Amino acid sequence: MAQPLFDYESHLEACAQQDERAFQALYQQEAAQMLGLAITLLGRRDQAEDCMHDAFVQIWRNAQRFQRALGSGRAWIYSILRYRALNQLRSRGRTVELDDDFIERAADDSPQAAELLEQQGEHRELRRCLQNIERNRRHPILLAFYRGLTHEQIANRLTTPLGTIKGRIRAGLRALQECLHA
Amino acid sequence: MITQQPAERRALIGEYVLGLLDEAEAAEVHELIEHDAEAAQMALQWQQHFLELSDQLPPQTPSAQLWQRLQDSLGLTPAVSRVNSWLAWWQSLTTWRLTSAALAFALIIAVLPDLWRTDTAANSYTVVLQAPGEAAKPGWVVHVDGSGSLRLQPLLEDQIPTDRSVQFWTLIDPAIGPRSLGLVEPGKPLQLSAEQIGAVQPGQLFELTLEPAGGSPKDRPTGKVLYIGRAVMASIN
Repeated sequence: MAQPLFDYESHLEACAQQDERAFQALYQQEAAQMLGLAITLLGRRDQAEDCMHDAFVQIWRNAQRFQRALGSGRAWIYSILRYRALNQLRSRGRTVELDDDFIERAADDSPQAAELLEQQGEHRELRRCLQNIERNRRHPILLAFYRGLTHEQIANRLTTPLGTIKGRIRAGLRALQECLHA
Repeated sequence: MITQQPAERRALIGEYVLGLLDEAEAAEVHELIEHDAEAAQMALQWQQHFLELSDQLPPQTPSAQLWQRLQDSLGLTPAVSRVNSWLAWWQSLTTWRLTSAALAFALIIAVLPDLWRTDTAANSYTVVLQAPGEAAKPGWVVHVDGSGSLRLQPLLEDQIPTDRSVQFWTLIDPAIGPRSLGLVEPGKPLQLSAEQIGAVQPGQLFELTLEPAGGSPKDRPTGKVLYIGRAVMASIN
């Protein structure tokens, strides 16, 4: 979980100056949360750890390319992790055949879920917006996020024509961005 | 061709961040993000929003080997904080007047579980290298795993004069004399293969000595013994 007090940007800038302590602090801060996502995407802990290894090697080597003017340091770290994980998924050419039930829970739009989100306070912008879009648009977006599926793989998994899936996702993302940037 | 229309472009970048696009489309958007600051900002904004979804997942503690692998891959200084905390820990123990090497050994295996790999198929050994006559001052730990490969791990970082080197030795048979296992960088671990060290026997002696820069000019140690210890079997078949 992100800690509001942890300064990701300064740590990345220190990494760019070859500060090994900053790199270690960054790893200690974020590795467990990153591994949670990598395991969800890749389905296997050993492959997820390989992915983490490659991601952190890139974080260290490319830290000087991070610019705080472009966005948050934490988002930058996860974009590297996600890119590595997606490459790994594509190169092995198959997807994770796991139970996707938890995705439904993440997308839960019951009144209880809405209330729970209210209680959790701040970090709920995206999930609040996700609740406002129809399930058939939201669900494929969540499948892409948590399973790293392409348009085509989602179409297959949901037995829905490719064009329909593309249209729903695009409409879903447009609705999300309107809600997020409103 | 990537659309110029801002809202459509932002949605397309969202699809790229999620990983939805096919190879050709993804390459095109990747190129755009590399060269267009506004597009790069959009990508990071999506990523930032999606962090809410990754934070829904339970964290998973990585194995100790992952950090080790990273250090090896990147050539980082090993475990700075662990070495320092060890030093502090040992210093806090001085009132114990710990004189038993066996006790020191027991403490080390209790506190350094990552030295204990799962491979217990063959005999594995541990050696606590201590300053001569100072049983409560371990400086290095040797672990020989079941495959016979050896890892020499620092517990503290010695200050060595610039015109000196630290050399690693083992003594199997006093009749043959010590055999050099190479030079050691203070504070840095050393990994040796089974071929390089040969079969390890219980009670086998290991030591680190202070030698002229570049190593002993002779086939035996010529300088002061910094640390010394004997191999103790760490697993029973």
